[in-house]
Amino acid sequence: MADKELFIPTRTTVATPPPPGKKKKPKLSADQNIYLAKKQVANFSLNLISLILILGLCFVILYPFIQLVPTVLSALEDLGNPNVIWLPEEWSTLSFTAASAMTMPEGFMTMLKSIGFALVLMVIQVFVAAMTGYTMARVKYPWLSPVMFVLVILVFLTPRQSLLLAQYIYFSNFDGLGLVPLLQKILPNAAWLQHPVAGKEGVIMLINQPASLYLMAALGNGVNQSLMILIFSQFFKNIPKELEEAALIDGCGFYKTYFKIMIPNAIPAVVIVAILSFVWNYGDTYYTRYFDPEGTHLASELAMTFIDANKQTLLDRVRIRYGVPVTTDMTFDALKQAGVLIFLVPLVVLYLFAQRWLVENLENSGLVG
Amino acid sequence: MKLSYTTKRKLLGFTFLIPFLLGFFMFFAKPLFETFKYSFNKITIDEVGNMVFTPNGIQNYIDLFTTEVSSANTQVLRVLLDENTNMLINVPLITLLSLFLALLANRQFKGRAIVRMIFFLPIILGLEVVTDMMTITTGTDTLQTGGLFAESFVARMLVRYTAIPMTYLNPIIEFVGNIFNVISRSGVQTLVFLAALQSISPSMYEVAKIEGATGYETFWKVTIPSILHIVVFVVIYTIVDVFLTSQIAQEAYHFAFENSKIGIGSALSVIYIFNVLIVLGVVLLFTRKVVSNNG
Repeated sequence: MADKELFIPTRTTVATPPPPGKKKKPKLSADQNIYLAKKQVANFSLNLISLILILGLCFVILYPFIQLVPTVLSALEDLGNPNVIWLPEEWSTLSFTAASAMTMPEGFMTMLKSIGFALVLMVIQVFVAAMTGYTMARVKYPWLSPVMFVLVILVFLTPRQSLLLAQYIYFSNFDGLGLVPLLQKILPNAAWLQHPVAGKEGVIMLINQPASLYLMAALGNGVNQSLMILIFSQFFKNIPKELEEAALIDGCGFYKTYFKIMIPNAIPAVVIVAILSFVWNYGDTYYTRYFDPEGTHLASELAMTFIDANKQTLLDRVRIRYGVPVTTDMTFDALKQAGVLIFLVPLVVLYLFAQRWLVENLENSGLVG
Repeated sequence: MKLSYTTKRKLLGFTFLIPFLLGFFMFFAKPLFETFKYSFNKITIDEVGNMVFTPNGIQNYIDLFTTEVSSANTQVLRVLLDENTNMLINVPLITLLSLFLALLANRQFKGRAIVRMIFFLPIILGLEVVTDMMTITTGTDTLQTGGLFAESFVARMLVRYTAIPMTYLNPIIEFVGNIFNVISRSGVQTLVFLAALQSISPSMYEVAKIEGATGYETFWKVTIPSILHIVVFVVIYTIVDVFLTSQIAQEAYHFAFENSKIGIGSALSVIYIFNVLIVLGVVLLFTRKVVSNNG
C-alpha cells in the first residue's frame, strides 16, 4: 500500500501533458523506473496471454471451416483423393458455381429477396420487442409484471416441435379470439383475410399465407421474439432511473421519453437484437415452410435442394452439365457445403457492418452512470 | 378526469404490452392448451383422417415412465435425469466461457473486428439449416463437423508422436472435444455480453483508475455489477437453450410423429415445460437475492 501512495504524485505529473516546446521526459527515480518496468512487463505478458488465447479460440471456432477448404475448393472429380489433407491438389470453384445454380433458381435475386424478407421482419421484430421489453423493465404493475415475465419465458422455452400438431390444426382454423369477422369488416380488401375454411363462419386459414409471418412478428410471436423481448428488458433495467426522471422534469411524456431518451441509450441492445433477428429470420425454415412454401427463401431452398432423396438427381445434373466424369457422395457433400458458404455470405457482411456501429456507439455514448 | 402520474404511466405502459399479449393469446395459448388436452387423451386417427379423442386420465404419463422407451431405447426417466445433469454442468461452463470470450473481444487490439467476426460465427453455425448442411453424408452415420476433435489431425498427432500415455490423453481429448461443443453453444451469450460491456460508461473505469483500483478490483466492483442483469439473462437463456437442444425436445417429436403416439408425445412436452420452469424458478429465486443485494 505504501508503494501506491508514493507513486500517486508521479502519475499525475505523467498524466498532465507537457507544456509545448518542452518535450523532455520528467526525471524519474530508480524506484519509479522499476515500477514502470514492472508495469510494462505485466502489460506485455497480459497481452501475450490474451493473444495466444484469442488465436487458440479463433482456431477452435474456425476449425469446421478450415476442414471444408479441401472439399469445397478442389476439383469435383478429385474428391476422395487420399493425398489431400489440407490443400486441394487442383483448385476449382466449380462446386460454388454448381451449388449457386441449384439453390438460387432466380440467380442473385433469390438471395436479395431473402435478405429483403429478413430485413422487413427484423424491423418489425425489433420495434415490437423493444417496446414490450421497455414496459416490462420500467413500469411496475402489482401482478401484471410477474405474469408478463412468465408468459414471455413460457413462449421462449416451449420447443416448437412439441406444439407442432396443435399449432397446425389451430392455424388451419384460425379464429383469432373471435376478431376475424371484425377484421374482415374493417379490411374488406385484404387478401389474407379471405381464406375461408369450408363450412365454418369467421374462421380463416393462416397456413400458406405469407401475411401470417408479418402478423406474427407484429404481435410479438415471430422467430425467437420472446428472447428478444427478454434481452431488451434486461438492457433497459440497466439504464439509470435518473435519465427518465430528468426527462419527466423537462416535460417529456411517456412516448417521447421512450423514443428520444431510452432508445438512443439502448443502441447496443438494438444492434444485437437486430443482428440476431436478421440471422434467425434469414435462416428460418420452420415458419417459412408453414406460411410461405412458394416464396423465395434461400434457407428453405437450401434445405429442400440438398435432401438425401434429391442426391441422385443433383449428381446427374453435375455430371451432364459440368462434365464431371465421376460423382460420389463426396461430390454431394462438396455441393452442400459450398451452398452453405454462399448462404452465409450476407450474414457475415451484415455483421461486419453492424459491429463497427456497435463500437462507434461506445465511443460516443455519454451515459450518465 | 385527472389521473395520477403513476396510473397514467401504467396505462400508457400497457399500450406497449398489447401487441405481445394479443399475439400470445392469438397464436400461442390455444395450441399450448390443446397440447395439454392431448396429454390426457388417447388419440387415434379414423379412416377420414380426423383425430378421435378418448380421455384416459393420466395413463399417458404413467406409460411414459413405465412402458415407453426413447428412440435410443433408454427409459424416459433416465433421459430426463441425464439432461438435467448435463444442464447443471454445461450452464456454468457456457456462461463463464461466453463472459470470458466477450471480455477478450472487448479489449483494444489490432484486428479486433476480425476476432469479433469469428466469435460471432457460432451463432450462424447454430442455425438449423447450417448444422444440417454441414454434416457429412459419407458413410452410414452423419457426423457433426465441429465435434470431430477426437478423430482430428491434432489428436492423431498427439496419440502417435508423443509419449503421453493414453490414460492421460483420453480425458484431455474428451475435454477439448467438449470445448468445441461449449463454444458452439455460446455465440448468442457472447454477443449479448459484448453489447453489455460496451454499454458500461467509460467514465466508470476512469474513476476506478483514478481511485487506484487494480484490474482485478475494477472487474469485480465495476464490470460485474454493471452487467448483473445481463448475467441473469444469459443464465436463463443458456438453461432454456440447453434444454431446447437436448434429447427431451427431440423425443417429444419422436413419440408424436414417428411412433404416432400423440398423447404420449404431448405428455412428454408437458413434463418438459414443467421441468424447465422448475429449474428456472429455482435459479431465479437464487439470482434475485444476488441482484437485489448488489443494486
